[in-house]
Amino acid sequence: MGEKILEVTDLKVEFNTDQGRINAVKGVSFDVYKGKTLGIVGESGSGKSVSALSIMRLIPDPPGRIVGGKALFKGQDLLQIPMNKMRNIRGNKIAMIFQEPMTSLNPVFTCGSQIEEVLAIHQMQLTKQQRKNKAVELLDLVGIPAPEKRIKEYPHQLSGGMRQRVMIAMSLACEPDILIADEPTTALDVTIQAQILELMHSLQKELGMGLIMITHDLGVVAEVCDDVSVMYCGKIVEAADVRTLFTRPKHPYTKGLINSIPSYDATDEGEKERLQTIRGMVPSLFDLPTGCSFQDRCDFASDKCRGFDGNPILKKIADGHEVSCWHPLSN
Amino acid sequence: MNIYIYTIRRLLYVIPVLLGVCFIIFFLFNVVSPDPARMMLDKHATVKQIAEMRHELGLDRPFFMQYLDVVKSAFTFNFGRSWSTRQEISEMIMDGAIPSLSLSFPAFFLATLISICISLFVSFFRGKVIDRLAVIFCVGMMSVSSLAYILFGQWFLAYHMGLFEISGYEFGFPFFIPYVILPIIIWIILSIGPDVRFYRTVILDEIYQDYVRTARAKGLSEIVILFKHVLKNAMIPIITYVVIRIPFLILGALLLESFFSIPGLGGITLDAVKSSDFPVLKAMTVLSSIAYITFSVITDVLYTVVDPRVRLK
Ligand SMILES: Nc1ncnc2c1ncn2[C@@H]1O[C@H](COP(=O)(O)OP(=O)(O)OP(=O)(O)O)[C@@H](O)[C@H]1O
Ligand SMILES: [Mg+2]
Repeated sequence: MGEKILEVTDLKVEFNTDQGRINAVKGVSFDVYKGKTLGIVGESGSGKSVSALSIMRLIPDPPGRIVGGKALFKGQDLLQIPMNKMRNIRGNKIAMIFQEPMTSLNPVFTCGSQIEEVLAIHQMQLTKQQRKNKAVELLDLVGIPAPEKRIKEYPHQLSGGMRQRVMIAMSLACEPDILIADEPTTALDVTIQAQILELMHSLQKELGMGLIMITHDLGVVAEVCDDVSVMYCGKIVEAADVRTLFTRPKHPYTKGLINSIPSYDATDEGEKERLQTIRGMVPSLFDLPTGCSFQDRCDFASDKCRGFDGNPILKKIADGHEVSCWHPLSN
Repeated sequence: MNIYIYTIRRLLYVIPVLLGVCFIIFFLFNVVSPDPARMMLDKHATVKQIAEMRHELGLDRPFFMQYLDVVKSAFTFNFGRSWSTRQEISEMIMDGAIPSLSLSFPAFFLATLISICISLFVSFFRGKVIDRLAVIFCVGMMSVSSLAYILFGQWFLAYHMGLFEISGYEFGFPFFIPYVILPIIIWIILSIGPDVRFYRTVILDEIYQDYVRTARAKGLSEIVILFKHVLKNAMIPIITYVVIRIPFLILGALLLESFFSIPGLGGITLDAVKSSDFPVLKAMTVLSSIAYITFSVITDVLYTVVDPRVRLK
């Protein structure tokens, strides 16, 4: 394994809402390595975005609050350092791309000026002209045609895919050590999705960043990730390298996710294989069952899983493979 | 299309609107209103006297000519003479406008500036104690009658403490200043409640937008985010709210002017209402309509300056 650049341990985040307190993230740990991609997968509401935003200290407070854990980056705990130091890291050492390309750019400033702004705060040695040139270069890097023209355009003049490219250009402006991509392609059409993923993958290899790729799509994971953490209801239920995870999943939830990837090759005579889905729905964070959160959707749930001390903890079962389940699958 | 052409086109649209407005004014004052000649003469006037009066006032001319008079006045600002004081109306208005504007413009400008700053400040502390207290304070200030502020200011600050002039006005710079300070302060106090509530809502609407999160993720400071990113986005509702109230400043602040005996347009308008001085009322109506139309053009042009999504067409 390469050099570890981010070490998140036991991150806990809660939200105080009108209906009560939600523990959106309950003790999540993961590591990010230089030049490697960590995938964080999970269904909607499993706490992926909240985990990512916590690293950047971007959780809206109120209602949210980081209540525990560490995020060690270059020897400092991102969750503890003062805000002015955090601002030096944001957009500079750690950058983030969001789930919503249509609304993440400021509508009243040109794309160019929004990219130049990052350079203006983090690379103060650059002159105005140099910043402008760099913005053009960055747009070119992310594959936007006629970048000299595009820097003068406003976000509403660009398509969703183009806007996401601008976001990527902006996030790469200071050549960050870590790039957090929160479902960067979810809001885009399939062909654009593939292009953007390809782009991020190649840029990551080129710049040697650590990448955190958040997605709910195991297909994306298979394509771009080196390691994967599977999240369910605010916890990591399984973590392994991509190969291991796909070939030897230990958690029934992971297995379910893999089975629900559409595939056409294992079928006879053009007849499509029926997609297997995970039965039931993600439980509401307001009333989680006692014990394991996955019990109601699991074929293997036993009395132990439903008991008061039934909440499984993440345990190492092989080198680089961890799972939190009382009855890990044998395969 | 560029913004100058847009502005010119927008100004050309003003002409039909103005003709329409003039028609409404003409209709209200010359067609459906009670006969001014009768109102000016006493009950026992003979038919002949009334006819002479109507002739003198130009009311016996065809309607179309009377309409043209209204239109002409809108373009030349020549409104004739007041029926009650016999003064040239445009002179009366000029004389009244100076005290009115010397009160209302600084007051409005300062009130707007202060309210926007307070709103940005409390938005920074959204959901926290300072923000909640500010909202309660605003509602509290709005619940007190404006008369209470005026009377307190005049009695305590001006009379008792001797800090300001109690009332009156003197023409010329800088002599008018002592007379307008207290009304300006009261104006600001009266505006802060509703203004801060409005601006705070507008700013909070923006502050939870995704682009604000992006700005934070870039490493920008909260101040830059508020004053640059949020404020520019909040400009559309703010401009609308600010600019559309300016025409009403031209009519003068009736209440403050009368309590502080400032000889402004508010007083002129009130006197004209009391004495049924139709030409003066007509002039004030025409002027405020023109002001309203002008400022809506200004609003539209400003929209295109602050928001690139507003299409110029
Ligand atoms: N601003 C907020 N206020 C209250 N609760 C929130 C807020 N943001 C997130 N949550 C809660 O945290 C939980 C996790 O949300 P999160 O956005 O991390 O999910 P996600 O895994 O990113 O899902 P998706 O795939 O839909 O993006 C949600 O169930 C939600 O109830
Ligand atoms: Mg999310």
